[in-house]
Amino acid sequence: MSDLLAAMAALRTPAATAAGRGVTSDLTIDETLLLHSVGWEPVDLVVGVSWWSLPWSSWQWRTGEVGEASQAFAGAMAQATDEMRQECLRAGGTGVVGVAVELSVRSTNIQVALAGTAVRAIDHHPRPPGKGRSAATFVSDLSARDFSLLLRAGWAPVSLVAGASFVIAPRRSASQWAQQKTQSMEMPNLTQALYLARERAMERMQEGAMSAGADGVVGVKLQEGPLAHNARVMRFIAVGTAITLVEVEHRTVSPTMVVSLDDPVVQFAATTLGAQV
Amino acid sequence: MSDDVEGDGPAEGTELTELQGLPPDAVHRLAELQDRPGHKGMFTSDLSVNEFLLVKEVGFHPLGFVMGSSIYHLGLQTRRWSQSQELAKLTEAMYNARELAMNRMDEEALELGADGVVGVRLDVNYYEWGSDTAEFIALGTAVKAEDGTSYRNNAGKPFTSDLSGQDFWTLMQTGHVPLGLVMGTCVYHIAHRGLGQTLRSMGQNTELPNFTQALYEARELAMTRMQDEADQLGATGIVGVRLEEKSHMWGDHTIEFLSLGTAVAKTEDRQIPQPNPIISLDG
Amino acid sequence: MTVAPEPAARDGVPEAAERRLRSGAWSSGLSVADFATCLQMGMDPVGFVQGYAVMQWSWTTNRFGPSAAWGGFTVPGGGYQENYYCPHGYVSPDHRAYGMNVEQRWVEDAWNQGWWLAFDRMMDEARQLGAHGVIGVVDDRHPLAGTGTQEFSARGTAVVVPGADPPAEPFSTLLAGQRLAKLIEAGFAPVSVVAAASSVAMLGNCITTYQLSGTSTGWFAGAGAVTEIAQVGRAQWAVRNLAREQARGQLHGDTLHGTSMDVFEREMGEGSLAIQCVIRGNRVRRFKDFSPLPAPAPVVRLT
Repeated sequence: MSDLLAAMAALRTPAATAAGRGVTSDLTIDETLLLHSVGWEPVDLVVGVSWWSLPWSSWQWRTGEVGEASQAFAGAMAQATDEMRQECLRAGGTGVVGVAVELSVRSTNIQVALAGTAVRAIDHHPRPPGKGRSAATFVSDLSARDFSLLLRAGWAPVSLVAGASFVIAPRRSASQWAQQKTQSMEMPNLTQALYLARERAMERMQEGAMSAGADGVVGVKLQEGPLAHNARVMRFIAVGTAITLVEVEHRTVSPTMVVSLDDPVVQFAATTLGAQV
Repeated sequence: MSDDVEGDGPAEGTELTELQGLPPDAVHRLAELQDRPGHKGMFTSDLSVNEFLLVKEVGFHPLGFVMGSSIYHLGLQTRRWSQSQELAKLTEAMYNARELAMNRMDEEALELGADGVVGVRLDVNYYEWGSDTAEFIALGTAVKAEDGTSYRNNAGKPFTSDLSGQDFWTLMQTGHVPLGLVMGTCVYHIAHRGLGQTLRSMGQNTELPNFTQALYEARELAMTRMQDEADQLGATGIVGVRLEEKSHMWGDHTIEFLSLGTAVAKTEDRQIPQPNPIISLDG
Repeated sequence: MTVAPEPAARDGVPEAAERRLRSGAWSSGLSVADFATCLQMGMDPVGFVQGYAVMQWSWTTNRFGPSAAWGGFTVPGGGYQENYYCPHGYVSPDHRAYGMNVEQRWVEDAWNQGWWLAFDRMMDEARQLGAHGVIGVVDDRHPLAGTGTQEFSARGTAVVVPGADPPAEPFSTLLAGQRLAKLIEAGFAPVSVVAAASSVAMLGNCITTYQLSGTSTGWFAGAGAVTEIAQVGRAQWAVRNLAREQARGQLHGDTLHGTSMDVFEREMGEGSLAIQCVIRGNRVRRFKDFSPLPAPAPVVRLT
């Protein structure tokens, strides 16, 4: 009987024959199949949301870093991640993948909203041998696809890590301003302020990874630019997933090279120029 | 006169013309990444999982996310309305600003003991400081060969490249190694056409030789400078050359031609195995 | 907990629809690729089906709606409600001595009514065609310009499976094309589309209102503080949880696959938020035992 006919036959059987409360997942079928191929399955949709308040005067009358904002961000992030971890545990999952991270920085509060799918290893499926190190419940913004790839290479996610820094750029000094009208030159104060902010955001993210005992961070995404409600404030937010080697050593994936026959048109583009002898 | 004149700058007589060395925060962050007695290091990277696996595949390991930036004020340069010419001062400024950013990124990579930096992105950001000030930023992931071979270029510096993890893997398969990101830039002013000229050619489809000349020259200047950099590194070729043309904030008659590529050298005679042809049925 | 209205209770499939569905040639909303896959799977498209409903709509709340009892968080029998009393004792008539998070049942009921009316009309058209199911369902909701109303719509392609007995109810799914083919190959049968909406009003008490406006000055403890806004965080969680539980209630033990969750927020005045969460997905049933794919081969494309 073809798959489709078997499926149609299944529709005639009464529902509620499945044990348990019914799995919910926001993974696509491709992701579900990839998860299955490494012996894991989706369990439940899980969320974590947290709002933290900010004194409105944080943004006024000063230059340099806005400490309260990074504090609020760190607080909101930690709490939302924790909530998600709790939901994952309640649902019987081992960790959460495909977390969508939504951040809103408003003038009086910061919101972090996370949504993802909790997953767990399928009991009867034989797992590859390894150090058997079981990390604490992990939360990661890696897609289920990336998760399965990493697992096959011997790595596993540990946690979502993030760091933020908000800085109000200093204004120029009088002498600098006068000089700059005609001359091309670097602006050291501004450079320094932004450099600092970026480094701090990265550093905080790094600290998060270190305290989780990770071996590294992949997929760091840097959000940077002026805040919507106040253009003088620069925000730098770095978000990534901390990972750790769970096998004895990295397992190579040995990809094969392929040439796709899909392109209907080949465009001429000179991409190699020999250096003159 | 702008109103943002209040002082926050250095004390009189100690004007900084350019930032020297890396800020202490950067040094601290990089130090944290490295293994020390009693402290286990780790890596950070903006590589995707795909890129991470491919970088490992060619025997490299990521060390850390590195960056360098510079906020640069672009001064005035007078130009003659009716003449097409390179605006050398602006060229120099754009070049300088990017070099500052790239050098700081290189320094961070050196701090980490890297062999090279992959996935370098060079961006120019305009914020609220006016049209003549921009932030030039260079970002990438520093990597190191796991077998201890040094891949630093002939200047003793880690190689830089704007190759993605995938391109890096493919390049290494062909027996070539990257040497450095090379660039050449030229800021060119295109002459405005006089009224007489415009009237004469109205209604005809004809080449405008002055424009052709001008743009040709500008692009050649940019590419030649790029190639000069590659020669200095002892490269056999440049791959992935991109020619970008931007007016930034100067209006349409002034364009920056930026030519970027990765200089490579051949290290062994290798041929990629015959790739499998595939056709995907899912669009 | 709200339940989809009975199919028989609703009318409204226009006569023009009956004529269109009776005519010979079928139309379909499937793309060429999806159409090819549909045939390859063994399904024949029989017609484009649609259903619409226009509902009176309003976001603001000046009434809390009927709720069971005061105090405590009870799911799902009565509505969700949590009270936030102010710890300050009497301060002034303006002081928000009392706040609450409360489920807005009447918004949910209206949404459910509109959505399921449109969906059921679409399924009616499918039934008239003798369809076994509807694939590639697209649902939408948008306001009708300036009339204070929302139009709900549901559209899809009705299909029959030659050689199969018609199911008691035609199946429905948001998926089409390769996604649907792979789902079936993986051993899941599409049962029906799942849609649920929840709506929670967060009416802030004094502390919440103060925190939302940026705790800077004032004699409240915690002036200038960076702190969690507990009431809002709780309301946000509750709205997502309610939608999720309602969706699960439609599963009857089957699995919810390919879910999407959208959250909308609207400020209703100082210190008050209306939050709505909509979950849509596919209810699927396992008909084949689990057998994992062999590990796929990783490739690097040269083009």
